[in-house]
Amino acid sequence: MESNHYDVVVVGAGLSGLTAAGVAACQGLRVALVATGPGSFVLGSGYLKTQEILAAGPADELSEAIAFFCEMAQAAGCPFEGQFSSSRHLPTILGDFQSVTFAPRPLWNAEPRNDTSTAIVGIRELSYFDENFMAERLSDQARLLGSSCTYSARQISLARSCGAPTTTLRIAKRFDYDAGFRAELIEALRPAAAGFVRVLVPGMLGLCSREQQIAQFESELGCTVCELPTLPPSIPGLRLFHLLSRHLSKLGVELLQGFPVSKLQIQDGVCMELEVASPGHPMVLRGECAVLATGQHSSTLLGVDCNGHDEQMHPLTSSGSVMAGNLFVAGTALPGSSGSSGDVMEILTGHRAGSFAAATRGHYAAR
Amino acid sequence: MKSTQVVIIGGGATGAGILWDLSLRGISAILLEQGDIANGATGRCHGLLHSGARYVAKDLETARDCLAENRIIKTIAPHCVEDIGGLMVQCPQDDPAFFEQWWRAAGDADIPSRRLNAEEALALEPNLAANILGAFTCPDAHVDVFRLVLANIEAAVGRGARFHTYSKVNSIQSADGRVRGVGYSNTLTGEKHEIACEVVINAAGGWAQEAAALAGVEVPVRCDKGTLLVLNHRPSSRVINRCRKSGDGDILVPAGPVCILGTSSMSVPGPDGLTASPEEINYLLQLGAELIPGVADARILRIFCGARALYVPAKVDSAGGREISRSYALFDHETLGGVGGFISIVGGKLTTYRLMAAAVCDCVAGKLGVQSECTTGKVPLRPVDDCKAHRRINELLPLPVAEKMERRLGPAVTRVIEAIDARPELAELVCECEMVTRAELEYVLGEASPIPAQTIADIGRRTRLGFGPCQGTFCGYRAMLAGFQTHRWTASQAAKEFSSYLHERWKGQALIQEGKQVEQLDLSHELYGADLSTCAYSGEPDGK
Repeated sequence: MESNHYDVVVVGAGLSGLTAAGVAACQGLRVALVATGPGSFVLGSGYLKTQEILAAGPADELSEAIAFFCEMAQAAGCPFEGQFSSSRHLPTILGDFQSVTFAPRPLWNAEPRNDTSTAIVGIRELSYFDENFMAERLSDQARLLGSSCTYSARQISLARSCGAPTTTLRIAKRFDYDAGFRAELIEALRPAAAGFVRVLVPGMLGLCSREQQIAQFESELGCTVCELPTLPPSIPGLRLFHLLSRHLSKLGVELLQGFPVSKLQIQDGVCMELEVASPGHPMVLRGECAVLATGQHSSTLLGVDCNGHDEQMHPLTSSGSVMAGNLFVAGTALPGSSGSSGDVMEILTGHRAGSFAAATRGHYAAR
Repeated sequence: MKSTQVVIIGGGATGAGILWDLSLRGISAILLEQGDIANGATGRCHGLLHSGARYVAKDLETARDCLAENRIIKTIAPHCVEDIGGLMVQCPQDDPAFFEQWWRAAGDADIPSRRLNAEEALALEPNLAANILGAFTCPDAHVDVFRLVLANIEAAVGRGARFHTYSKVNSIQSADGRVRGVGYSNTLTGEKHEIACEVVINAAGGWAQEAAALAGVEVPVRCDKGTLLVLNHRPSSRVINRCRKSGDGDILVPAGPVCILGTSSMSVPGPDGLTASPEEINYLLQLGAELIPGVADARILRIFCGARALYVPAKVDSAGGREISRSYALFDHETLGGVGGFISIVGGKLTTYRLMAAAVCDCVAGKLGVQSECTTGKVPLRPVDDCKAHRRINELLPLPVAEKMERRLGPAVTRVIEAIDARPELAELVCECEMVTRAELEYVLGEASPIPAQTIADIGRRTRLGFGPCQGTFCGYRAMLAGFQTHRWTASQAAKEFSSYLHERWKGQALIQEGKQVEQLDLSHELYGADLSTCAYSGEPDGK
């Protein structure tokens, strides 16, 4: 087999693309995941919203898809937790509470809990997160939700280790590779955390720190720690992306990052090739089948003629015929999708498209 | 009760120019603006400092006014002008007879111009359409409208004039056939105030009829909508005009890091709630692409509409209304049988704002019995640079940041230097596109600035924060935090202010149909959309 030939080529590394690649890789297929960068989900908060749950499809298929995703996230070291039935709240970048269904385990620590005292800790050298703003807003908003939890603002300085001004990205990287820095951070946080049940810090606890590492950090500090979302890039989302990408690599998925797919070669109802616009080195990928999970702005790839999709996630032309038997769409790239990322719908459609793609194995091999 | 000699209604270029002119003549004045500086047509135009080239073939008088004012503004307000020059481009689609007509008229108006063949024009502006026939040069320029208005007001405030934003005039008191004062309310706080005065000047632009009605008189104004597109590129380094009878979509003005394409023209009932249709936008883009083909693929940052307040002479009012030129008109309502001490100035162009102000102030001086001459054509709006401050700022900030900030702030830059010297972390950039430091942000929010910003959008008009590709998604959030940190807003006020700011920025992007900016807008929606909708369900924490 040629080196650029895969069983499945997945385009897009957002929630649906990662899920589709995971499904195909788990069935032992040779998978390529091509993406310009992380999807818009990881630029945001890193948790799943509840908006489209009811319309998301048959309940057992949804449960299966979510279970698959949670298992994959668990194996990647970033366990996701949640339940469909309960509406729970997590803080947002504007200091509101948002209804959330699924989130990485450490993020749940930020839920408003009755009679819980919380320190929101800002970093003096990090100007785009304001602990006073967050504390004032969350106190107001928690009251509105009827919660008796209290928030207080504290500040620490990391000037010596990180310089000023700094970014959450820089702090997260140091957190990953520098045990000395983690110890310094604990020393700095200890006095701020004194007397509180939990501390909330801006998302910064490592770009690829697994759950155990964060748990260890918590136990050394002796206090429950949670991360709050910040302006992009928000670390919890980016961490999920990094850990899932690593996990997929271990499963044999080839990650081609930084390259946009510029064109689909469709001939006689079969997607023959995907052209990749890597600068200076035009590249062509061949796949038995392809999954497009390229987000809301996929019309340049799918063409203006694309109109809807069938039950097997094939994109359809305006006359209702299948564009290509080995081409599938997922996530917000789905024609007619209401287009909100960070939704369970993405996982459901990614799972579905990945399964259908895997099922076509061998079907197009003759070509 | 406060008192002054003159109250001016409207903080556009004309009102600001009047305030400055009066302050030079030693006449005390207060300007009341219902929104922020350049709220109406002034803040919603191309920012083209006309050389007269556009009008020369149809209105020689206006063209001559424009040319004279173009030269004056370049001299008195160099920090507001990018003197980039312009081209009148000859397109094969247009009438060649007009080219010759234009060339003769430009000669008559003394507009300095050179005739270029296609090759020479393309050498100057390689992105022009390859099929152009040639071009004429002209001394057009770009003027930063917000800075120009601010410069006039700051200079006037420096001489004791007063200026109030978010102050809407609700009533004009008169007795014995003369105005005696005005009543106004603060649109942010609802507080009501009164000012006693001898003269009221209606420079309310699109709202001129509304203001005149308060004095029981009428002014003939018609609102005409123009739609403009902001492109995130500078495909030309000069102002590009199409050499033809003035029409739609035939001006492209490079403005700082972006350029503005426009405009359309259609009659509307009033200046509020304007919007553009997809057809109108496509039409403008198509016309723009005829001049510069690359425009078709350019990233559009936002789309906005403004209402020109055009003066429409009625047949009967020639007896009293003193028509100064075809483009603008001054009404001394006293001589028109209306109330004494009430003057309206309507129509006109941004480029001729100073001339209009001078006409108004001559009339006011006559009424008040003040012997004075207009000196706004000679006195610079801003004192010359302080060299010491100049050296220090280059030590503190990277050169492009320092240059931009100096142009924006002028002498006030010393305050920003002091702030950064005291707290070096204030040198951090809050808006990367327009290179706005935290120190500058805090300055325009603070009471030390002559007209402190009240909202995040106000900060934008003073610093251009949020005018770049993110359209406030990132820098607006930072500005919100700055407002909170400097105790301008409580946390919930800050969040509410940011939400209304974002909605306004989203509005200007919602009309864009495709391309990178749509993705950018979606990111903004992803980040804040759900949050903003939950604001409604959770209500205001203080129960409002």
